[in-house]
Amino acid sequence: MPFDPNASFGKSLFFGEILEDQIFPYPEMPRDQTELVAPIVETIDRYMSSIDRRKLDREGEMPAELIQSLREMGLFGVIVPEEHGGLGLSNSGYARVMQQVSSWDGSIAVTLGAHSSIGFKGLLLFGTREQQKRYLPKLATGEMIAAFCLTEPGSGSDAFSIKTSARREGDFYLLNGQKLWITNGGIADFYTVFAKTTPDTPGQKGKITAFIVTRDLGGITHGPHEDKMGIRASNTTAVFFDNVRVPAANVLGEEGKGFKVAMSILNHGRTGLGAGAVGGQRRLLQLAVQHAGERKQFGRPIASFGKIKEKLGRMATNLYVSESLCYLVSATIDRGGVDYSIEGAATKIFNSEALWTAADEALQIAGGMGYMREQPYEQAVRDSRINRIFEGTNEILRLYVGFTGLQKPGEYLQGLGKELANSLADPIKGFGLLREYAVRKAKQTVPYGRTQITKAHESMREQVAYVEDAVQGLASLCETVLRRHGREIAEMQFATTRIADVAIDLLALCTAIARTTRLIDRRGLEKCSTELNMTFAFYSDARHRIRANLRAGTGRNNDEEIKSVADAVIAAGKYENDVLK
Amino acid sequence: MKILVTVKRVEDYESKIKVKPDNSWIVTEGVNYRANPFDEIAVEEALRLRDANMPSEVVVASIGSGAAQAEIRSALAMGADRGILVKHDGFVDSDGVARLLAKLGEKEKPDLVLMGKQAVDVDDNVTGQLLAEYLSWGQVTFASKKESLESPEEKAKKPGIQLAADKKSAQVVREVDGGVETLEVQLPAVVTVDLRLNVPRYASLPNIMKAKKKPIEELTPQALGVDVAPKVKVVRVESPPARKAGIKVPDVASLVKKLHEEAKVI
Repeated sequence: MPFDPNASFGKSLFFGEILEDQIFPYPEMPRDQTELVAPIVETIDRYMSSIDRRKLDREGEMPAELIQSLREMGLFGVIVPEEHGGLGLSNSGYARVMQQVSSWDGSIAVTLGAHSSIGFKGLLLFGTREQQKRYLPKLATGEMIAAFCLTEPGSGSDAFSIKTSARREGDFYLLNGQKLWITNGGIADFYTVFAKTTPDTPGQKGKITAFIVTRDLGGITHGPHEDKMGIRASNTTAVFFDNVRVPAANVLGEEGKGFKVAMSILNHGRTGLGAGAVGGQRRLLQLAVQHAGERKQFGRPIASFGKIKEKLGRMATNLYVSESLCYLVSATIDRGGVDYSIEGAATKIFNSEALWTAADEALQIAGGMGYMREQPYEQAVRDSRINRIFEGTNEILRLYVGFTGLQKPGEYLQGLGKELANSLADPIKGFGLLREYAVRKAKQTVPYGRTQITKAHESMREQVAYVEDAVQGLASLCETVLRRHGREIAEMQFATTRIADVAIDLLALCTAIARTTRLIDRRGLEKCSTELNMTFAFYSDARHRIRANLRAGTGRNNDEEIKSVADAVIAAGKYENDVLK
Repeated sequence: MKILVTVKRVEDYESKIKVKPDNSWIVTEGVNYRANPFDEIAVEEALRLRDANMPSEVVVASIGSGAAQAEIRSALAMGADRGILVKHDGFVDSDGVARLLAKLGEKEKPDLVLMGKQAVDVDDNVTGQLLAEYLSWGQVTFASKKESLESPEEKAKKPGIQLAADKKSAQVVREVDGGVETLEVQLPAVVTVDLRLNVPRYASLPNIMKAKKKPIEELTPQALGVDVAPKVKVVRVESPPARKAGIKVPDVASLVKKLHEEAKVI
C-alpha cells in the first residue's frame, strides 16, 4: 500500500496495528532538496564560525549587528515560499538548516526558530492570500521579525486559561493583556497573539482566537530582556497589549478557533526543535570524541576505556534515533501527511531528552575540566535544558501522546460498551464479555488486522518480531487501563505516561529499523554495520524499558506509594525526617 | 570589463586525508570537497572589481568531473555571473590546465584572469604563470594589499587591485620577502592571488537560490582542441612521518640545556 496522508503510524500502534507503509521505505530527502541544502549548510558553517558564541552567552544580549547579519544571510526567509521572496525550503530542508544553526549556537537557533517555526507559521498555515501577500515578503527578509504569544503569567501548559482578551468593536478588536517569556518579544514586529474573544463564564471557558498583531498598530510594549539560565542571548521578554486596535482582517483562521490554530502551529513547529536537538547532539558528540581521544590517563587515551566507550556509543545511538525520528516527521509533513501530532510530540520528547543526556555525558567525559566555564560544556548543559520545557513541556506532551493514543481504542471500547449495556461504565460486570467480544471483533475488523512488519531488512528479524509482540502488548495495556479506569483516565497521569513511553519507544525503534533498512538497501549490508549496531543497541535498551512499563502497567507498580509519599510531603510542606530528631 | 576566475575542486583541508595502501594516491572515499580557498579570494576580488566597474561580468571556470559543478555553483552563489565547466574525469597536470585555460582565454577574451596562486591539494603554484605565457599576457603573482584584513578598506569591500582610469592597466600590490611591492601590468593580464588580499564573502541563502538559475556552459578538452594527456606523473604519495612524542622538562634551565646540547638550536 502507498503512504496514506491521513493515517498515523503512531496512533495505529495503540490499537495493536502496524501501518508499515507510513514509514517503510524510510523517506529520504529528495535529491533536489539535498543539492540545495548542502551549499546552504556549508555557508551556514562559514558564517557561524565567525560568531563569538561565548560572548553572546556571557553578555546575554543579541546585538543588533548580529540580527542584521542574519537578515543579510537570508536566514529569516528559509520557509517563506519563493513567490513571497523566501527560499521556500521543504520542512525537511528547514529542519536540516535548523540542525546546522543549532550545532553552532542555541541562542541564534532559538531566535530563528521562534520566527519561522512558530512566529509566523500560523500565517503560512491559516493566513488568507491577502494576509500572506502583505506580511510574508517582510518576514522573509527579516524586515519583520516574528514572535508567538501564547504563554501568560497564569497560563503555561493550560492554554485555555489565558486572560488576554480581544473585544470586538466594529471593524476592530480591542486587545488587552500580558504575555510572558516571549522569544523575540523585544525585537519582533509581527506577533501571532492568542486572546479570548468570548469571556469565560462559570462552567464554560471562553473561546480563543488567533490574531496577527503588528507593532505599528501601537499600544504594544515589552518588558526587559529576561536573565535566563541558557540560550541567554535569545531575546525573551514579556509583551503587553494595551488597548491595541487590531483590524478584524487580522484574525488568523476563524474566530473562536484559536486553540486549534495554536496546536497546529506547535505540532508543525516541533520539527524545528527536534532538528535543533540533532544539531546539538552532533556537536556534543564531536567534542566528546575529540576530548576522549586526546585526554590520556593511565598512559592511554580515555577513549580506549569501556566506560567512556559506553557513553560515546550511547550518544551516537541516541543521535541516530533522534535524527531518524526528526526527518521522518519532517518528510511526513512534506509528503502531505496531516496526522503527525503523536510523531511530532514523540520526536520533541525523545530528542530534547537525548540532547540533555548528551550535554550531561559530554561534560562528564571531560571530567573536572568539563565543569570549568572556559570549556564549552557548561554552556551546552544550560542551553540544552530549555528544550525539555518550551513548546510544550515533555510531561504535557507525554500526556498528550498517551491521551491521543488512547482516544481511538477508547471510542472503540465505548462503542462496544454501548452494545453491551454500557460495560465500560461497569467494567467488572462487562469484563468477560468485553474481552471475548473484542477478540472476536478484532479478528473481523480488517483495518485493524495489520500487525506485522514485512519490509524490514532480514538482519533485524529479532527486533521486528519483538516489535510485533510489543505492539500487541501496548494495545492490551491500553485496553486494561481503559477498562480499569474508564472515564477516570483523565486523572491517571502515571498510567497514561507509561503508555506514552511504550509508544514513544516503539515508534523510535520502528523508525530506526526503517531507516537502517533504507541505508542497507542503498549502501549494502557490509557498509551499514555501525547503523545496524546502533539499531540493535537501541533495541535492547528500549526492550528493557518497554517490558518494565508493560509489566508495571498491567500488574504491580508503585504508583500509589509514590502518590501517598507526595501527598504527605505536600501536606507537611517539607521533608520531615532529620537524624537529629 | 570581463573577468575570468578559476575555481578548483579540492579536498577539504578539514578532512582526514589517508594514503591508499599502494601509495598511488589518497583515499577519496569519505573525503569532503570544497573550492580551493585561494580561488575563493580570487572570486571575491573579481566581484569587488566588477561592482566597482560596472558594467562588468565575472565568469567562473573549472576543470574537472561533473562534481566540480558544485564549486562553480558556490562561486555563482557568491555573486559570479555565469560558469564554464571543462569536463574531464581523469588527472590533468598543471600544464594541461594552463593550456585549457588559454583556450578559454581566447574564447572569452577577458580583460583579466584572476586565480588562486596555488591549489591547496597539490600546491604546484605554476598554472597562472604558464597561462600568462601561453596567452603572451602580462602576469602578477601573489597579489596582496597594503591594508590589513581588519582595515576600513577591507570592511568596505574595496578591491585591492587598482584599475587605471582608462582600464588599460592595473596596479597590483604583491608580497615579497619582508615587504610588498607595487607593480603595474598591462591588461589583459593574469593575476594570481595570495591569502591577504581579502576575506571572501559567504554566499547568502537567497544568492544560493539565485545561483541555481545561473547558466553553466559545459565544454570538453576535445572540443577545445587540447590534448590533456599528463606530462607529469604522480609516482608515489606518502603520509608525513608520524610526530614523535614530546618530552617534559622540569625547569627552564634544563630546557635551555636540552635546546643547546641536544636540539642544537641555541
